[in-house]
Amino acid sequence: MALPKNYKYTKEHEWLDVQGNSAVIGVTDFAVEQLGDIVHVDLPAVGKTFKAGDSFGTIESTKTVSDLYMPATGTITEVNNAVKSAPESLQSDSFKNGWLVKVQLSNPSEVNSLLDAAAYETFTKE
Amino acid sequence: MASQTSETKKTPLYEEHLALKAKMVPFGGWMMPVSYEGVLAEHKHVREHVGLFDVSHMGEIRVKGSEATKFLQYVTINDVTKLADGGGQYSAILNEKGGMIDDLIIYKISSDEYFICVNASNSDKDFNWIQKQSKNFQVAVTNESQQWSQIAVQGPKSMAALATIASPEFKNLSYTHIQKASLFGESCLIARTGYTGEWGYEIYIPNSIARKTWAALLKAPDVKAIGLGARDTLRLEACYLLYGNDMNDDVSPLEAGIAWATKLDKGSFIGRDQLINQKESGLKRKMFAFKMSEDGIPRHGMKAFDLKSGEVGEITSGSVLPTVGGAGGMALLAATFKEGDSFLVDIRGAKKHATIVKRPIYQAKAK
Repeated sequence: MALPKNYKYTKEHEWLDVQGNSAVIGVTDFAVEQLGDIVHVDLPAVGKTFKAGDSFGTIESTKTVSDLYMPATGTITEVNNAVKSAPESLQSDSFKNGWLVKVQLSNPSEVNSLLDAAAYETFTKE
Repeated sequence: MASQTSETKKTPLYEEHLALKAKMVPFGGWMMPVSYEGVLAEHKHVREHVGLFDVSHMGEIRVKGSEATKFLQYVTINDVTKLADGGGQYSAILNEKGGMIDDLIIYKISSDEYFICVNASNSDKDFNWIQKQSKNFQVAVTNESQQWSQIAVQGPKSMAALATIASPEFKNLSYTHIQKASLFGESCLIARTGYTGEWGYEIYIPNSIARKTWAALLKAPDVKAIGLGARDTLRLEACYLLYGNDMNDDVSPLEAGIAWATKLDKGSFIGRDQLINQKESGLKRKMFAFKMSEDGIPRHGMKAFDLKSGEVGEITSGSVLPTVGGAGGMALLAATFKEGDSFLVDIRGAKKHATIVKRPIYQAKAK
């Protein structure tokens, strides 16, 4: 799948769809592909605040557990319960319906330092 | 491709795995396929159809000589005198403290010849140990691990798949038995065993025909290649132990839940006195199968607690349970636990409820 051009990306394979002071966060299909069958997703409670770089949850495949890292400081406003109850759905649609959390960004300028689609694509090919 | 050290060995089927676009990982000193199309799909395929596993990394040791029976009686825990020619049994070799050096399967070829299948990562350790113990016996011990490739054919349709390349005598094999067979003009061995909980076979073939055999079996009806990922979830549902996860040099076969294969009354064997002491003073810990009663996936090494938060042991193997549903595994817990009891698993700081269930967690329907 092509990377959505308007999203921001991290080297930990998260994506952010930034809309003003809020952002939707998920993991890229590259990450999903690397993980294999995803069997469990652990997401935080609404209202919790995380600093950029904090682990805000885990994503677990049949064999490994990976931390999910907050790309920018923010407070959780919504979590995707559909993904929690059917983690395999991430496999088919990690960029849209497979979103994980929505956050209120504390400092929206933090996202400027994240990768754009072209830079992330180059990074995954290294 | 993951980085590969010069010591990482390749099985004769390595190129076949690459051609099937397998994800390859280092495992027990070998580059092995962890999955082809996905662990869950492969798991399901074995439960419903038939899967091919490259298990060429497994070790093979032959013990031959006039005192072969007497020697194996001394060096292994099960009673080899119970084996008929062509019979096989699950067993283990113990150190002097009664801890497990390895678990293995012993096949009796004839009254003075046995063929032993051991774990890949232990094959040198096992061979050295067995050879060292053999010096006072009239036996020759040979490590044949380099010569053999091994393919497991597992699943309810495995007989039909194997019948496409083997003459029909193998269909009479009883569970755990082995027989000689000719495949592509070469001498091979076919055993009716497995590590999946399904009807299946493990075939021992010379390296020279490994690729030919693999390719021919892949063409049989309803056959797919299955990686180590599904091999692990399949064996876990069937509650087969995995050396290095569920037991090691410090775990006795009584603790590991294989007392049924430990014949304390057969006479002297290495580790027996320690096992008898352990039994008389009462086992402190035992292997249990369990299922999670809450969200979360248990993993090897996670701590287990009783409901008052006292530490009672640890998870030795854990995963999702694709056929049974939910998650679960095996745990080495205080021996006072029993079926139906609840305990807690510390999953990255969160204590989640689990329930002890009967072993095995999954059992195939009778054929």
